[in-house]
Amino acid sequence: MNTLMRWIGIAVVIFIAAPLVIVVPMSFSTAASLQFPPPGYSWGYYQQFFSDPSWLRPAWNSIYIATMNTLLTMALVVPATFALVRHKFWGKSFANLMMMMPMAVPHIVMAVGYYSYFGELKLVHSKLGVILAHSCLSVPITFLVLSANLKGFDLTLERAARSLGATPGQVFRHITLPILKPGLAISALFAFIQSFDETVVAIFISGRNAETLPRKMFDSIREEADPVIAVISTLLFAIVFIGLLTPSLIKLVRRMTGSPQPK
Amino acid sequence: MSAYLRLAGVNKTFGSFTALGHIDLEVEKGEFVTFLGPSGSGKTTTLMVIAGFEQATKGEITVADQSLAHLAPQERNIGIVFQNYALFPHKTAAENVYFPLQMRKVGKKEGMKKAEEMLELVGLAGFAHRLPKELSGGQQQRVALARALVFEPDLLLLDEPLGALDKNLREQMQIEIKRIQKRLGVTTIFVTHDQTEAMSMSDRIVVFSNGAIEQAAAPLDIYHRPATRFVADFIGESNLLEATITDAASGKAQSPVLGEVTCGAEGMPPLTDGQAVTLLIRPEHLKLSREPKEGRQNAQMVIETIVNYGDNAVVIGHAGDQQIRVRVPGADVVILKEGDSCHFSWTADAVFVLDK
Repeated sequence: MNTLMRWIGIAVVIFIAAPLVIVVPMSFSTAASLQFPPPGYSWGYYQQFFSDPSWLRPAWNSIYIATMNTLLTMALVVPATFALVRHKFWGKSFANLMMMMPMAVPHIVMAVGYYSYFGELKLVHSKLGVILAHSCLSVPITFLVLSANLKGFDLTLERAARSLGATPGQVFRHITLPILKPGLAISALFAFIQSFDETVVAIFISGRNAETLPRKMFDSIREEADPVIAVISTLLFAIVFIGLLTPSLIKLVRRMTGSPQPK
Repeated sequence: MSAYLRLAGVNKTFGSFTALGHIDLEVEKGEFVTFLGPSGSGKTTTLMVIAGFEQATKGEITVADQSLAHLAPQERNIGIVFQNYALFPHKTAAENVYFPLQMRKVGKKEGMKKAEEMLELVGLAGFAHRLPKELSGGQQQRVALARALVFEPDLLLLDEPLGALDKNLREQMQIEIKRIQKRLGVTTIFVTHDQTEAMSMSDRIVVFSNGAIEQAAAPLDIYHRPATRFVADFIGESNLLEATITDAASGKAQSPVLGEVTCGAEGMPPLTDGQAVTLLIRPEHLKLSREPKEGRQNAQMVIETIVNYGDNAVVIGHAGDQQIRVRVPGADVVILKEGDSCHFSWTADAVFVLDK
């Protein structure tokens, strides 16, 4: 029974991980189009990606939009989460529902909505438009991660700090914020990835001026199946992987060098 | 009056629910006072009102004749040890203890030195740079105590601090807390629902029930001269028997179970003839025998259960409808059997009378 479960588990992991295994070798391919297994290996497409402005511009667009999206989302979600987790007020469950709404509504519906609504506001084909739309889409996941963290936060810690002489502001700065830091970092990371990865809304409203990387990839695969796409996929995967692994790596290095824990 | 902490007519209601009725209490400087009572009796609410986390609906609290009414928790200079210790998980033991000093603008170098001295006092020298999660429950408890004491608070409040510890550690910490409290002379309020803890640690016990103080007195007074039936029942084991006073002058009472009883314990309330009262006899003041004992008052019971504790045992029996508990030395218990009929006896000075 146990061995059977283990093999099923391994099979599922292989099935899920297969796209990654295929994409990474293809990025080093010498073939003129996407082809697996690759006929030969080279860095050619990496060079192409890093030297071609038609790829680099959307890459910078994506980084800029995702960064702005993260800042805006956090500015909205952090206070909202504190209010929704810690306080009781009239209409709270409705507010909770509204926070989760963008997750329930299909992206394509949101995209069509933004397309016509932002058209009126002259926000289509602008970075600001994409940032605003992405922030809305990033709210649910950011809120979920952060509220789970905040619910697990022991309020007696704040009481203890008050009794020890800290004002509410000092409690937030010295106790609440540092303890919630990992949760804040992870929810910000999710907001960033959500925007960086988002395709549907970007296709509808980003236009030429605010073209994001996923949109450019989509256009490219439709037109020519350029293996640069595999390069970008590999780079994105590597970045996210490193991002998720960093905390564990830091811990590991600390343990190995025996240096003291952070303050 | 030299009361240091004074609660005058403190009342606390949550909507229509009265958490605290009308609390009057005075605590001397340096005194170790325990709030004892079942959960929901108001002891923790009283503590939270003193700490400033709850506002009293009515009444006044003063420390050294200064009212606390308009002071926020951080302005009250009160050290609190919480039930779950509430150590800051991202700070080391020393940084936790330094925190209240940091808030009082004590420099890092001087403050950390003081923090380490405090940790030494609570027996944690050498653990200063550990994070809370790297410490055992008892050690975390000591850090919490050091943190609550390092800024020389006017009051130390302990909210069921030993609840999470196992029995041996608990007893060790009881002694330790008492030692540190004596050494620093800090006025202390200790909240617990554990009566043995209250007995062994306190200068004075305040018994709470239903949001009111039932009695505030020294541990042995509470034990031997309880003010109410609730206190007699809650503190220690007791036999409580209905009776009517027949002759107040000689302390004679008539009990349906025991027959005529002479009551002669110290410090009884004044009695009047015909008064309905409750008699209190502690289980350790009763003796069991096959035959009635000469020179003692006797009654009969049937043994129902014997609960053995090793060094002693509690024999539970019935006399009529009344349950009788007798504490006997462990060695005596071997000759007793469940279902046996026997005599139990007492002397007049073991019978305390409670106003009904």
